[in-house]
Amino acid sequence: MSAGDTITPLAAALWLANIVLDTVGQLAFKAAAGDERAGDGIARWRYMATHPWLWLGVGCYVLEFLVWIAFLSLLPLSEGILLGSINIVAIMLAGRWLFGEKLTRLRVVGMFLVALGVAIVGIG
Amino acid sequence: MRRFYLVGFLLLMCFDTLAQISFKYAGNHALPVEANLAWLLRVFGAPWVYGAIIGYVGAFFTWMALLKHAPIGPAFAASHLEVVSVLILSAWLFGDALTPARLVGAALIVAGIVCLGVAEDRAAGSAEPADSAATH
Repeated sequence: MSAGDTITPLAAALWLANIVLDTVGQLAFKAAAGDERAGDGIARWRYMATHPWLWLGVGCYVLEFLVWIAFLSLLPLSEGILLGSINIVAIMLAGRWLFGEKLTRLRVVGMFLVALGVAIVGIG
Repeated sequence: MRRFYLVGFLLLMCFDTLAQISFKYAGNHALPVEANLAWLLRVFGAPWVYGAIIGYVGAFFTWMALLKHAPIGPAFAASHLEVVSVLILSAWLFGDALTPARLVGAALIVAGIVCLGVAEDRAAGSAEPADSAATH
């Protein structure tokens, strides 16, 4: 990493918090949005708003919002994005384990190209 | 479904880009980072944080609409289309260098998202019951 010497303990803690909040939050959103009992249109939103998954996701989202502002004021945006590339792999694996999403070869190739591209953009 | 994903992910990219650019302005404006009320007041006292909030809320509704059908792993990867748009905009607004490496990275992201799109096209052809059935 080009700016490894700028990663302070505070920045590292904020990074770790970002990974955990992002992964838990995204899985909660998928659990809310993918629930077929929710129906369609306004009724779908009403169903999601009265079940806990959406709110777990929103809670993570709000915390991540503050963590991300703090993180970006310590590091350039591009390096923040580099460190975020690990979240792609974490959420891909979590989707496989918790939702049975098939890891077809084309999906795996696509996800790794994106993660690699994000990392290179950050390093670049 | 192809049109649903195309429109959805492009809209998501616009909201995410607005949020990230606003975040950077908000963070710059509020330096130094402190765990106190003064820092929060500096953050919320400048207009940029509200651009970030609009981007976040718009992205939230777009994302929840997408996730009704989209599997979370590939969808989360595809949502990084914003990195390409933020890269280009931050070169323009913040003077970040558009190095050859960054352009290669951006090309890899776009190539990866094309792979994911083709994968969804094929999955739609075979109905892929695993995605919806496994959410219960």
